[in-house]
Amino acid sequence: MKRLLTAAVAALLLASCSTTGTESPKDNAPVQLLVFGSPDELAAYRTLVSAYKGGQVQLVEAADRKDLITKLSTSIAGGAPQDLFLMNYRFYGQFAAKNAIEPIDDQLKKSTVIKAADFYPEAMKPFQWAGKQLCMPQNVSSLQVYYNKGLFTKFGVAAPKPGWTWTDMLTTAQDMTRDAAGHVVKATEPEAGATPPAVHGLGTESVMIRLAPFVWSNGGQLVDNDAKPTRFTFDTPAAREALKNFIDLRLGYGVIPTDDEVKAQDLVARFTSGKLAMLLESRRITPTLRAAKELSWDVAALPTYKQPGGILHSDAYCITKASKNKESAWKFMEFAMSPEGQRIIAATGRTVPSHIATAKSNAFLDGNAPAHAQIFLDAVPSLKAVPTISTWPEIEDITEGILENALYRGDKLDDVIAEIDKQTKPIFARGEAS
Amino acid sequence: MRRSAWWMLAPYLIGLLGLVLIPFGITVAMALTEYDLINPPEWLGWANFRELWHDDGFRTALMNSLVFAAIAVPLRLGIALMLALLLHRRAFMAGSARTAAALPTAVPEIAYGLLWLWLFNPSFGPINQVLGPLFNRLGVLAPRWLTMPADARAAIILMSLFTIGEMFVILVAARQALPRDAYELAEIEDATGWDIFRRVTLPMLAPVLGVLLIRDTIMSLQLSFTPALVVTKGGPPPHSTTYLSLFVYRNAFEYLRYGYAAAATVIMLALTMLAVLIQAVILARARQMRR
Repeated sequence: MKRLLTAAVAALLLASCSTTGTESPKDNAPVQLLVFGSPDELAAYRTLVSAYKGGQVQLVEAADRKDLITKLSTSIAGGAPQDLFLMNYRFYGQFAAKNAIEPIDDQLKKSTVIKAADFYPEAMKPFQWAGKQLCMPQNVSSLQVYYNKGLFTKFGVAAPKPGWTWTDMLTTAQDMTRDAAGHVVKATEPEAGATPPAVHGLGTESVMIRLAPFVWSNGGQLVDNDAKPTRFTFDTPAAREALKNFIDLRLGYGVIPTDDEVKAQDLVARFTSGKLAMLLESRRITPTLRAAKELSWDVAALPTYKQPGGILHSDAYCITKASKNKESAWKFMEFAMSPEGQRIIAATGRTVPSHIATAKSNAFLDGNAPAHAQIFLDAVPSLKAVPTISTWPEIEDITEGILENALYRGDKLDDVIAEIDKQTKPIFARGEAS
Repeated sequence: MRRSAWWMLAPYLIGLLGLVLIPFGITVAMALTEYDLINPPEWLGWANFRELWHDDGFRTALMNSLVFAAIAVPLRLGIALMLALLLHRRAFMAGSARTAAALPTAVPEIAYGLLWLWLFNPSFGPINQVLGPLFNRLGVLAPRWLTMPADARAAIILMSLFTIGEMFVILVAARQALPRDAYELAEIEDATGWDIFRRVTLPMLAPVLGVLLIRDTIMSLQLSFTPALVVTKGGPPPHSTTYLSLFVYRNAFEYLRYGYAAAATVIMLALTMLAVLIQAVILARARQMRR
């Protein structure tokens, strides 16, 4: 009976939303590339597409990451998926686990344009699923500290130095938190009629990918098993210490803006308008900062606890399994990953090329801000990736809420750890790992 | 005659079948499966419903939806009625006022949400620019519309109070259609304004109000979706303004849990039907009592 019902439901659902028949290559149809991004990024993709002479490529632009996931899943269900899509390693797991991505090992081996060894292995590995290379990483970005050089000069505070520690960053952030008269202040909880600081020392989002590198740097682990995680391990001493220090940034030390201030003006806007001295961000904000002509800024390495710790930020081109244009899609992917394609995207400033030779060339180290762009390349050997589990998007959303309340409402550390465990354990259990 | 009636009904019946009954059937079937739109569905039986029962996020979304309906629906109906009674007459600027009352409903939902996102901005928004100094004098903070749970829920309700254009137009038309004799008779008997409202206007408008009440209760489960998605993003954490519609959307379109989302939708439908049934029974009893 169950089988009969399942079959009936499957037939009904598939008939209602799918037109998939036998796959037939459509030689003349353009390759559809699904992306999302800022206007700068989209302009770069358009340049990349127009530079490609191997055939027609149609750019399909999603509003944001969540919209991209919706577009991709519904198009797969409809039997007419985009041929290529660009997705972060943290989110591709839900498609990889469902066997919706075409492995590219064979094409990569045969290719005369690119070789696997041309790319940073730190970026290649997270896109391997069950021993197969599913996607090609477009970039190998990481979390670093952006700082406002003008503000540091104005207040006579030493700029971040290589090898600095978490404590150094905290002290610097305290020194840089100033009122309108330029006096060092401690930002407190919002009070009626109180004037907030004019400049906050530091800005960070309350998300797991901001906290994770500090856990690793402190010698801790984020989850119990990187390959097949079942729970977070914030109850271990190293992870607990990193979490405590992270959530103390607001209510303990008063160096980051309140949630109301962040809602009023987001962190990047606060940084560009001189209201933040330092900002924890990946390479993606570089085009925005370059566009702020009045701003004098640079980038410094992430501070450390016991050892260098960094977190990978990487997006990759993936071919959908149900694509009817796989060969053409691979040809375009090959071009996008070639030195020429990587140079075009690198010119936007948005990415750290995953192609090693391009990353070390003037295409990336082009003399434009940030002056210390080399920091992104120096960080690569110490980069770690969060688990590529299929339910990671849910886990990130849930933990963001818990960390936000911890940071801004002052939830007790034990409660925060217990809540993270309680809320995420069932989601880990549902997830499929590579 | 009967055949022609069926022909006239046919487009509606086809629409009802294709757009309501078949999707409803698919939703119920999907609720009993695990389905991600990519692979064929797998039979789960009642497992999705059992998981929903233990899901804190779902329980909060359910409670938020019920509280929203309980507060927003009477307020929306009351304000629409008040405006209709105020503006149904021909008077100076009444036409412009009627347009102003109906206009917010015509604004596309996303644009409406983005507008309120600016209005609620804690530092630069005009609402707190006005309220801030007043609250400061009282020694308390102005509402923190986007970061405090109760204030955020109030913000979503506040947003819903301006999109009452349809109800307002229907009530203006209904009020204008009421017989003048009843009001003239009441005036002759020296009835006060309150008496006229209570004993003449309200009873005669009751059937229309009843229909609007049921309709708005059904609508209330959808009304909160765009504001919660655009303005508060379901927060402040963990789920302060996550309503059932947003819960369903996230599970289906962001987490690819279409079966689970369908189960939540079935519960949402059941609740709607229950609420409508209760209201219909109450209205029927009220009619019987009046007789």
